[in-house]
Amino acid sequence: MDRNYHVFSDGRLERNNDTVRLVTEDGEKKYLPVENAEALFVHGQVDYNTRLMSFLDDHGVAMHVFGWGDYYSGSIMPKRGQTSGQTLVEQVRAYDDPERRLGLARKFVAGSIHNMRTNVKYYDNRGHDFASIVETLEDCRGNLDEADDVDEAMGVEATARRAYYSIFDAILPEGFVFGGRQYNPPNNEVNSLISFGNSLVYANVVSAIRATALDPAVSYLHEPGERRYSLALDIAELFKPLLTDRLIFRLVNRGQLSTDEFETELNSCLLTESGRKTFSKAFEETLEETVEHPNLKRKVSYQYLLRLEAYKLKKHLLTGENYEPFERWW
Amino acid sequence: MMMQYYEVCERELWFLSRNIEIDRENPAVVRGTHVDDETYEEKRRNFSIDGTISLDVLDDGQVLEVKPSSSLVEPAKLQLLYYLWYLDRVVGVEKSGVLAHPTERKRESVELTDENAARVEDAIRGVHEIVTRESPPPAEEKPFCESCAYYDFCWSC
Repeated sequence: MDRNYHVFSDGRLERNNDTVRLVTEDGEKKYLPVENAEALFVHGQVDYNTRLMSFLDDHGVAMHVFGWGDYYSGSIMPKRGQTSGQTLVEQVRAYDDPERRLGLARKFVAGSIHNMRTNVKYYDNRGHDFASIVETLEDCRGNLDEADDVDEAMGVEATARRAYYSIFDAILPEGFVFGGRQYNPPNNEVNSLISFGNSLVYANVVSAIRATALDPAVSYLHEPGERRYSLALDIAELFKPLLTDRLIFRLVNRGQLSTDEFETELNSCLLTESGRKTFSKAFEETLEETVEHPNLKRKVSYQYLLRLEAYKLKKHLLTGENYEPFERWW
Repeated sequence: MMMQYYEVCERELWFLSRNIEIDRENPAVVRGTHVDDETYEEKRRNFSIDGTISLDVLDDGQVLEVKPSSSLVEPAKLQLLYYLWYLDRVVGVEKSGVLAHPTERKRESVELTDENAARVEDAIRGVHEIVTRESPPPAEEKPFCESCAYYDFCWSC
């Protein structure tokens, strides 16, 4: 039930009997088995009609649309997702209680710093000297306890992320110059990859939240309404180092993505269609990787970790039991 | 359903009382619903009484409870006894019941004896105590945890 299908061609998406069919502009027909699909990721220019929407709705399949600029444009979510007034009430209660909101905001930042640190340590052990960055991240984590409000927690996150991003230029090969985070639109290849990867993480978190009765617009670290699904931003923060950044390093360092895979115009630098294909394919393979879960006593996929994170948060909100953020344990 | 959950897992009972939705894709849930929907289709009628309980009555007048397997028999029996108790003490009709495991072609008759009625009354008090708690009873590992729809919810921590 958890496969993502990516559509890169331009053309028409339609219902054909009991499946979804893509008819490309040159008349080629491709079939997307919808039975085991979690979501369709649409990167090309496609037409579709209401008949397709109802069909996807019946099968509980979301459609995430990717466009220009920062890549993610929006999602069309099936109405059949779970809804629960009770869950929404508890979500808002936690938001409205400054102590609880700050507690959750800190957890998201703490988890995210931990996962950044894991990546830094990995490269620190492989011929780089990032000891001072590890130390900065540890300081940030310490300072987090003194953050008195959500803005301060956000500030700690920003400091940590700046330190973390400072290692990128040392890890990436010649030709890939980062020089700090720029987005909307990204200004160079590295920023473009981060934007694209993070938007894939974000869309997958949106799908994971949909599987619970959580409202994706009520968030804790980010301000609700900052973007439409701000809760997805909170949760995505935890997974970006695992899902996006490591993949970028791997693809670029192994030469699977070169600077030829980008289109540069004025102040923007965006992945070409073939670059997006390469990245998405590798991203899907990453989502399917598994790890032994210490409490569930079985192997779970990286993609399922997103779902579990939504469950954990929901459980905290509804039962008051402690929420511990995802921190890479392997 | 409350009686059944009280006997199986108090934490699950608490979740249920708060409408904390289970994972509808869970194979055990899908199977249970399927077995229940597909058996005695022609011979039973569903009744909703006082908006509190919903039960199935067979053509011969017996109250029916279907279990997809013979595991967790006692909880299903308690649930059925509760229906019989409710009919007898609240509605004022005396009925007998039948507990059916269609996949194993087994049926068992259930009667509301004095002893059984006392068991139901104890359970009603127990259920009330659980569902009025602020937070759920802590997770406790049981042999059937792994097949529960709340398994990942309880243990992903």
